[in-house]
Formats: sequence, structure tokens, C-alpha cells
Amino acid sequence: MLKPKQMSRAVIVGHKDIMEETIEALHSSNLFHLENYNEDGSGLKLGRPFENAGDVSKKLIQLRSISSFLGVKKSDAPKQKVNTVLNDLESKLDKLDEEVTAKTEQRSELESRLKELETLAKDLAPFSAIPIEMELYRNYENIAVFAGTVKENVGPAISKVTSTYEMEYDQNTGTVALFVKKEDEATVSEILSNFEFRELRIPEISGIPQTLLAGIEKEEADILKQIESLETDISSIKEKYSEFILASEELLAIESEKAEAPVKIATSEHTFMIDGWVPEDGVAGLESIVNTATNGRAFVSVQEITKQDTDIIPIEYDNPKVARPFQEIMNLYARPKYNEIDPTTLIFISFPLFYGMILGDIGYALILLALAMGIKKMVKSDAVKPLMNVLIYCQVSTLIFGILYGEFLGFPLASLHTDHGTVPGLIAGFETITLFASPIAGEVITYPIHRTHIVMTMIAATALIGVLHINFGYVIGFINEKRNHGFAAAMFEKGSWLVVELGIILAVLGYTGTAPTQIIGIIVFLIGFVMLVKGEGVKGPIELPALLSNALSYTRLIAVGLSSIYIASTVNLIAFDMILPQGGIIAAVGAILVFIFGHALNTVLSIIAPGLHALRLQYVEFFGKFYEGGGRKYNPFGYIRKYTEE
Amino acid sequence: MVDPVATTAMMDPAGLKAIGAGLAVGLTGLASGIAEKDIGAAAVGAMAENESLFGKGLILTVIPETIVIFGLVVALLIS
Repeated sequence: MLKPKQMSRAVIVGHKDIMEETIEALHSSNLFHLENYNEDGSGLKLGRPFENAGDVSKKLIQLRSISSFLGVKKSDAPKQKVNTVLNDLESKLDKLDEEVTAKTEQRSELESRLKELETLAKDLAPFSAIPIEMELYRNYENIAVFAGTVKENVGPAISKVTSTYEMEYDQNTGTVALFVKKEDEATVSEILSNFEFRELRIPEISGIPQTLLAGIEKEEADILKQIESLETDISSIKEKYSEFILASEELLAIESEKAEAPVKIATSEHTFMIDGWVPEDGVAGLESIVNTATNGRAFVSVQEITKQDTDIIPIEYDNPKVARPFQEIMNLYARPKYNEIDPTTLIFISFPLFYGMILGDIGYALILLALAMGIKKMVKSDAVKPLMNVLIYCQVSTLIFGILYGEFLGFPLASLHTDHGTVPGLIAGFETITLFASPIAGEVITYPIHRTHIVMTMIAATALIGVLHINFGYVIGFINEKRNHGFAAAMFEKGSWLVVELGIILAVLGYTGTAPTQIIGIIVFLIGFVMLVKGEGVKGPIELPALLSNALSYTRLIAVGLSSIYIASTVNLIAFDMILPQGGIIAAVGAILVFIFGHALNTVLSIIAPGLHALRLQYVEFFGKFYEGGGRKYNPFGYIRKYTEE
Repeated sequence: MVDPVATTAMMDPAGLKAIGAGLAVGLTGLASGIAEKDIGAAAVGAMAENESLFGKGLILTVIPETIVIFGLVVALLIS
């Protein structure tokens, strides 16, 4: 909690004879974060992959291409025994490849034939109404053939220049087939050009166009049917082999990882040296695993972590289980560094708190809670689950604030009596209880808290929350800084902000006459200012106004919430205005539609707006005060099996 | 001549307040939008290159949003 998992640097050394066993053991333990070795001229060289590497990766590529061709999806297939999969991997893979290749070849042949037919049909289409066989358009010695389209009947114009011609003209498509004597070719061509003649390609085929077209259509339908039956064949192959594909792909991926591992390892002529990281509580386990696998011939030594190493230590979160979903939110920003505070547990509290403060409505909380639970149950994806958990935490907080605010889908639950009249509540007889007067703007704090009636107080209160949250950030920043660069640096960089704030508070108290501290306040402020300049340089004074804007930024806790209430109550108002004066079925249906759609829209907004705003308060205002981030992910050498088991 | 009665009716203080509140939200909304559009485009571009920049992109994109929140707060103070 509040700290990434403690890591140890471990180096494993041994004779090359036992390299394979060692790698095998490390991979199965799934504990060791392997550090890639870079050749640095020290005489050690990168290792060579194991002999089976080429074969394994070849098979893996073959399998993956088949898998992607078939579109095999991840599923909940039952786990299979490694030995059974390994035994028939070779034969099954070859058979599968053969089947799939045959089907794909057939399919691509059919598809290319289909394309051919389509082009042919397109070329033939203009000739369809002309009953001349296609072979008659070609191979004349003394006759010139014009086949093309014209804008209107060219017959009369042609008959003016020559009487010996044959012509077919199709009124609808404007296609003309004109046969003239060779010597008339030039004159006719000129006439045709006046009619916007455009030559058509004559397909290399024989027969009457119309019958040809009918034949093509039939063949196309036939091919489509064949392709369809191929598709069903392919999907039945997929069905039959998908478990095998998933299991063997996993197996081969594991084998390939192991086989390629030596290229990350430093080796000499006879020895190997594996460098990497282990969680501190896993060192003993790692030692015993390696010792058993190699009969104690490989030597595991834990190294001291030097100062310059801290930047490359891989980071594994170490949070209580409830706070773990928020690691996703941390990852979205950046993983913490090894020697800084991991704020996951802090945002586990503050993120839902802010979200609930913004939304604070029992109705929306219940709707979204049901939604999140439903999605969590239905979608099995590992990426969605933590987000749904975050949403559930937020809704619990929203529910609590909803009870505090007494709001249900924008309706107030309790009735409220003000100077301007009575606002009726949803629950009859539930009266608002007056608690005490707010020091601001003469507003009155009540239970339930009617946010819309005490805006000024809420703005002040949220800004105050902001000040507290920001200062909490500075304190954490102070701790981080002290840990890394000592007390003095921490005091100048982060402590100075606190001093400046103290100065401002004292000066303001003095100015308003509450306490005689005006001068002291100004002096404290100046001291803080000098410390700030020393700690942060020019950047410090420039960022000074951010104190105010950051604190005011927290007023979004009330502002965004009010906008959500107003949308909800507007929807309610419209719905009730439709139904109240005269009633009637149509009005009632319309009102219900408006009510449902309006609140559906506001429900969606209720995830986005409070979520983004609460997130932003963490990321910008809070993290900005202390968080660096940028740690490397702890990625142990190993594999989490899903489809196979030993 | 402008009729003074009509003028007072037109210059209803409550109405002017409402206009002021509307202007506060509307103009700051536009301002946020203008400021965010370039950042958002750049952030999406950066994310296309490297997806892990989502968090930073989101933060940079929502920074100008404070403007409209201030507008909203001012509108609440006016009304």
C-alpha cells in the first residue's frame, strides 16, 4: 500500500549445459523480470536461440495465419493437457493447413472467375439488344466495323453518303453496330464523330449477346452458391479445430518464448548469466525453483540495488484488493516510479468521493449500479472488469450522497418551505429539517441538503475541499522529495507552498481584522516566496496564481452537479407539463417517452461528466503537486496459461 | 422619444441577470471549445502514435475546461 512492491535484483549464473533447464524453471515460475543484456565489450556475448526456435516459430506463424484466416476468437474453451496437444500437433497442424489451403485456393479461383464474368457481362451489356453474334464483329478484310454508342440514330446521316451498309441501332442504350465498306471508313467515321460516337470494347467471345448474358448470369449464381458452400466448409473447419488452434497456439507461444530467451542473456564460452528482477518476497521461491531444476548447479545471487538503478526497477503494484481496480486509472496516467508514493489507494477514496459529490442522485446511482453489475457479469473481458468495478464504487458513493442530498432523478425527496413558497417533495410527509445557518450569504443548511438553494455555501465549501486536497498533494510531494533529495530540497520545493499559503491566510485574517497578524502574514508570505524561488526557480512565482485557480477548479464539484440536476428537472418538468392539464392517452405516452429518453440521455451524461471531472481533479490538480510517474511495468518471464495445463 | 415606462419594462433587472448568466456560460463555453479543439486534435494525433499517452492527452485536453466551470460559477453567482 502506498508503495510499489519491493524488488530485488537477482543474477543467475551457471554452466551452459544447464541453461535450458534454468530457463524452463524461470519460465514456469513466472516471477522473474528478465533484463535484456546489451553487449558492452566486456567479452560476454548474447546467447543463441535454442535449436528448436526456428521450427517452433515457423509452426507458430503457420498456425497464426490459419487462425487469423479462420477468424478464431478467444473463448472459454476447456483446458487441454499439454502432452495430448504436443503429440498430435505435427500431424493435426499439417492436416489443418492442407484443408485450409485447399479451401482457400478453391475460393480464390472461384472469386477470380466471378470477377472475369462480371467484366464480361459489363462489356456485353450494351450489345444485349443487338441480335448479332459476337464473332461477326471481327476479322474482315474489306469491311470496317464500328461498334459503340451515339447520342441519336445515325442511320439517316449514313444513308446520305453510302447505300451499302448494315446497321443495328438500339434506341435505349444508344448502341450502334455499323458495317461499311473499307473505302467509306473515313467518311463514316467523320459522320459518327458528329454524333458523339464512343467506341465500345468488343469482348473476345462468340455467340448471341443475349444468350451469352443469360449464361453468364447462371454461371455467376452457380459460383456464388459454390463459394457459399465453401464458406460453410471453412466455418465447420473452424468449429472443429478452434480448440486445437487456441491450445496449440498457446503452447507454441510458450515454447517460442523459451527458445528465444537466450538472445536476451549474456553468455561466455561455457557459462551464462541471467540478470533481472524478482519481487522481494519471491526471492526464496525463485532460488528453490532454480535449485531443484538444476540440482543446485545454477547459482542465484541477490545484488544490491544502486541509486542509478532505481529508475529501471520494474514496478508491480502492491495494493489491497479493493483498491486494485484503480490501478487501471493509474496506468492511464503513468505507472509510479519505484521510490515515490503510489497514490492508488488515495484515489480509491477521493475519486469515488468526488464522483458521488458531483452526481449525488439516488435514481441515477441505482440505474448505473445495475448497469455496471450487468456489464460486469456479461462481459468477461479483463479490460472491462476493473472499469466496471470503479463505476460500482462510484455509484455506492453517489448513493450515499444521494441520500444526503435527498434527490431522486432530479426530484427532491423532501418538501422544502422557503420564502418564495413550498417546493413539494417526492415522499409525502418528508419535511426538510433546518440544521444551522451557513456563514455565507445567509443561506441555511438543512437535511436533506438542497444543493440548488445553497449555491454560495456549496461553492465556498467545494473550494475549501480543493484547498485541502491540494495541500494533501503538497504534503505527499514533500515526502517524495524528502525521500529522494533530502529534507532541504523538500522544504524549498514543496514546503514553500505551505509557507506561502500560511502567509496568505495570516495576512487575510489581519486584513479582515480577525487577528492582528497582517504584518506577520506578509513576512511569512515573503519568506515562503523566497523559498519557492530557491526551490523551483522562475517557475515557482509564475505558478503562484495556480493556487487560486486550482482551488476554484474544485467548484466544479457543485457546478457540474447542478447542471446535471437542472437537466433532470427540466426533463421532469416537460414530462409533467405534457400530462398534467388535460391528461389523455397520447399525452401520457408522450410524457413517458420524454421522461425515458431524457433520463437515458442524462444517465449517459452522468457517467461521462462526473467521471471526467472527478478524474481531472485527480490528474491535474492533485497529481500535479507530487506525482512523477513513468515507471516500467513488471513483466515477469513466463506465461499465464488459458487453454492448456501440464 | 422613448417611453420611460416601456424602457423600465424592457430593462427588467431579472431579465438582465438572466442575460448576464447566459452570456457567462455561453461565451466561456465557446472559449473552452476554441482552446480545447487544438489540444484535442494534437492529443489524438499523439495517441495514434503512442497509446500510452491517453492519460496525458486527456489532462492537457481538459485543462481549458476550467474556463467554462468558472463561467458556470459566475452564472450561479449572478442568478
